[in-house]
Amino acid sequence: MNKKVMIQVSGLSQEFETDGETIRPLQQANFSILENTFNIIYGPSGSGKSTMLNILSGLQAPTAGTVMFEGQNIYKMSRDALAHFRAHRLGVVYQTSYWVHSLNVLENVAMPLYFLGYSRRKAAKLAMLALQRVGMERYAKKSPIFLSGGEQQRIGLARALATSPLYVIADEPTGNLDTENGDKVMNLLLNCQTEFRCTIILVTHNMEYVPLADHLIHIQDGLTEELQQATALQATEEIIRDLRQRVAALARMKAKDATRP
Amino acid sequence: MQPDLKTTAHQRYTKIPSAVLLHVAWRNLINKKLRAFLTIMGIIIGIGSIFFLLSFGLGLRDLVTREVIGNQSIQSIEIESGNSKIIKLDQAGVNKVKGLAHVKRSSLTYTFPGSLKIKGSETDTIVYGIDPDYQGLTSLRLLEGRLLNDGDVKQAFMNQGALNSVGITDPKKAIGQEIQLAIPLQNVETSKKQIVDTYKVVGVIDSTSGSEIFIPRFNFEAAGVLNYSQMKVLADSGADVGTLRKQIESLGYQTSSPVDTIDQINQIFRFFNIILAGFGIIGMIVAVLGMFNTLTVALLERTKEIGLMVALGARNRDMRRLFILEAMLLSLIGAAFGVLLAFLGGLLINVLMNSLAHNRGVTEHFMLFATPFWLILAMFGFMMVVGLVVVYFPARRAGKINPIEALRRE
Ligand SMILES: Nc1ncnc2c1ncn2[C@@H]1O[C@H](COP(=O)(O)OP(=O)(O)OP(=O)(O)O)[C@@H](O)[C@H]1O
Ligand SMILES: [Mg+2]
Repeated sequence: MNKKVMIQVSGLSQEFETDGETIRPLQQANFSILENTFNIIYGPSGSGKSTMLNILSGLQAPTAGTVMFEGQNIYKMSRDALAHFRAHRLGVVYQTSYWVHSLNVLENVAMPLYFLGYSRRKAAKLAMLALQRVGMERYAKKSPIFLSGGEQQRIGLARALATSPLYVIADEPTGNLDTENGDKVMNLLLNCQTEFRCTIILVTHNMEYVPLADHLIHIQDGLTEELQQATALQATEEIIRDLRQRVAALARMKAKDATRP
Repeated sequence: MQPDLKTTAHQRYTKIPSAVLLHVAWRNLINKKLRAFLTIMGIIIGIGSIFFLLSFGLGLRDLVTREVIGNQSIQSIEIESGNSKIIKLDQAGVNKVKGLAHVKRSSLTYTFPGSLKIKGSETDTIVYGIDPDYQGLTSLRLLEGRLLNDGDVKQAFMNQGALNSVGITDPKKAIGQEIQLAIPLQNVETSKKQIVDTYKVVGVIDSTSGSEIFIPRFNFEAAGVLNYSQMKVLADSGADVGTLRKQIESLGYQTSSPVDTIDQINQIFRFFNIILAGFGIIGMIVAVLGMFNTLTVALLERTKEIGLMVALGARNRDMRRLFILEAMLLSLIGAAFGVLLAFLGGLLINVLMNSLAHNRGVTEHFMLFATPFWLILAMFGFMMVVGLVVVYFPARRAGKINPIEALRRE
């Protein structure tokens, strides 16, 4: 089955000027993201993964290149149209949860719906559905800032899903969570793909989730590399082998330290 | 349960409904209760003091105007011959004035100093020779008895001031009394040297400004006095007063009108009110600084929140709207309570002043504070404008927040 190309990234470069020094985290990146796929972006810290997500979510105009969503260059849109595109098409989950402090959980989840012009009542209804999806409806009237990290992350996911977006973009959503809570969030993301036919773009450090991906994007030293699922699995094995070697090396180091007087 | 993605296309670019934005603004205010309370207190003090002082200024102006003008109509014009020896206010002149356009009614008056004798007491007095039209054009407050009627000749009414000067405090005791008037006719081209006659008191009016007595003007005409002291004319409308006065003055007469006095009073009070408002502005400065501080702190505190909202799809201009709404909420609440408290304060002082005056024998109830509707509206409008000016920079900055930088910062 040939899947439709939803996002096409071509010739994408990003430069930053800091203290007279030019950083080029992304150089001539080319890749495409297909409909209803699970995409994982990985790479070392500081390689430009978050920068890529910011560009994909319409918040950071790239230095060069184009980002086409369903054939439309989002950086050619008017500011208002781009804002509407974000509210309508994208659901974004962050590593740390950000909230509007004066609003309760339900209202925070309803936020993107407000930006689409929903009244408070209608938005509350849809936000409640989203909270039910992540199993957090009991917390609707609470303030989000006093909840645990895992709870906050699930509510953040509910906020991303409230508008039934076509794309879910997540930047290390499990980064601050233990494995149990991390798995819960990953489960919900997988559920978005299978049940609600979302296209998922995920940045993660947790290599154990790599086998979940249909498509891997590797960013390192400014170079972006695409790997399909078959190669992805192969890559995973490589990564796991790397990991074993690293752990073994660490263990040897420790043993050596212990024998030292 | 979940609607299909393809069919839930929110096609139009819609802005955040104002009701929703207002709700968020309200939540932001009550989230920082103490800060909001202090800011609103500042506005209450600022708006309250301006409103209080201006309503005092306006009240005082109205009080003075009422006291000076009495119930004279602003359509009335008073005409005198002035010091001119050539142009007299005689029957021919009177007829010319009466013939002018927009003259609705007129009355003629003689005014002479004289002396009054009642029950053996004697006092100096001003004697007015009037006609029933005069009574229609001048507001006279009867205390007892009646005014003059058409057929009256040897009847008179007097003011309480005249009674006081002969030691009679109860106006009832004066009704039916016989009084002797002696009116010297100096500087008047007539055969008679003076009018000396007896009149019967039919009424007493409520005025204590000097001693005044009113008799039918026929008595002066019968004595051969040809020139009237004063003519009073009522114009068809207040708008006709100006042109009518010019026409009368071109006949050589001097005119005056309550409008002159009102103008003078207004001019004095305009200056007075500016000074009062100036004092109020000092309070306003406190309010403005407090509000600016609150909004700036809110902006810094919520930079991340605003960045988040923009990242989630809010338009930058919605964030600007949010800040403007918050400022408007502060302004509205502050102005409402400021006006209310200043009004209640004025009311309280008014009651106290009235009872104080009452204890000292003032019978009339007076209003020391005026709270016209336009002043209330003006205070709200003024505070809104001040709020908009104060929020200008914070709102502009809120509208320019870059979501990536905002979310990055710790
Ligand atoms: N706005 C910016 N201005 C200047 N430099 C920036 C900016 N944003 C990112 N960078 C730089 O670009 C590089 C890539 O940053 P980015 O946050 O995308 O990395 P990352 O892959 O997400 O890393 P991590 O895994 O640690 O989150 C970094 O060197 C960072 O310092
Ligand atoms: Mg990152």
